[in-house]
Amino acid sequence: MNSPVLQFPLREWMNSIVPEVFDTMLSLKAAPTPAGSSPHPVSGEQISGAIGIAGETLSGAVYLHLSLPFAREITALLLGSAPGESPAPAEINDLVGEFCNMVSGRLKSSLSDHGAPCAMSPPSIIRGSAFAIEAMPNAIMEKFHFDCLTHRLCVEIHLQPQKP
Amino acid sequence: MKILSVDDSKTIRMIVGRSLKNYDCVLCEAANGEEGLAAAASEKPDLIILDITMPVMDGVTMLTKLREDPALKAIPVVMLTAESGRENVAHIARLGVRDYLVKPFKEDELIEKIGRIVNLQPKLVAA
Repeated sequence: MNSPVLQFPLREWMNSIVPEVFDTMLSLKAAPTPAGSSPHPVSGEQISGAIGIAGETLSGAVYLHLSLPFAREITALLLGSAPGESPAPAEINDLVGEFCNMVSGRLKSSLSDHGAPCAMSPPSIIRGSAFAIEAMPNAIMEKFHFDCLTHRLCVEIHLQPQKP
Repeated sequence: MKILSVDDSKTIRMIVGRSLKNYDCVLCEAANGEEGLAAAASEKPDLIILDITMPVMDGVTMLTKLREDPALKAIPVVMLTAESGRENVAHIARLGVRDYLVKPFKEDELIEKIGRIVNLQPKLVAA
């Protein structure tokens, strides 16, 4: 199948947009994990933003996985919380959802410009530990890891080309 | 000066408010297009900052309805959204927006775009 999704340079694109989000919004460096390193998963209690995307030629989802302490830290940074003051769970959820929205929105726009127009859902939030997301059959599933401060974050993309 | 921020993310509305804190203006907020239309009708803002992907009513629908309402159609709108696809931007431009800012964004970029449309005055500080 000659789907535009299969031609899309996902890794190159992701290694550009994720650092841009963290730099622009937080002035933090999020560096792609070096090639050949073993990307350990986000460990412990985690929070994930999830956004669905769907169009005539593709469907899928974008997930942003962060450890809860990291999500708490960057929420406090963005909100300008006083030292020792912890953001409310709803504030953390909102930030993770919005960051996932920024990555997904830009991905959706790039896919549309590459001939795969699609729409996306508002973000939803998953909290828990040691959970995995199962891909749909025939879906392309890619994980992209980044290091920021002392934490690791992961963007997980599921894309399933559809026959137009 | 009154500015309406319509975004389902409280974080984004907070950043918009923080960007404007040194300027003499009142910020009104709405979390979706339906609330945004109601706030536009009741508050008559000088400018609307509008997201696209929102629950209940999205920003494109709100913009379309705004432009159909004789009492509200002249209110300038700046889109503040993560969606930047060429067709999307062209479609929204045809509906009539004054500017378009793509997330992620810097606060000074937002102020620059707002300042091109309305006369933002620094807040006077009591001596």
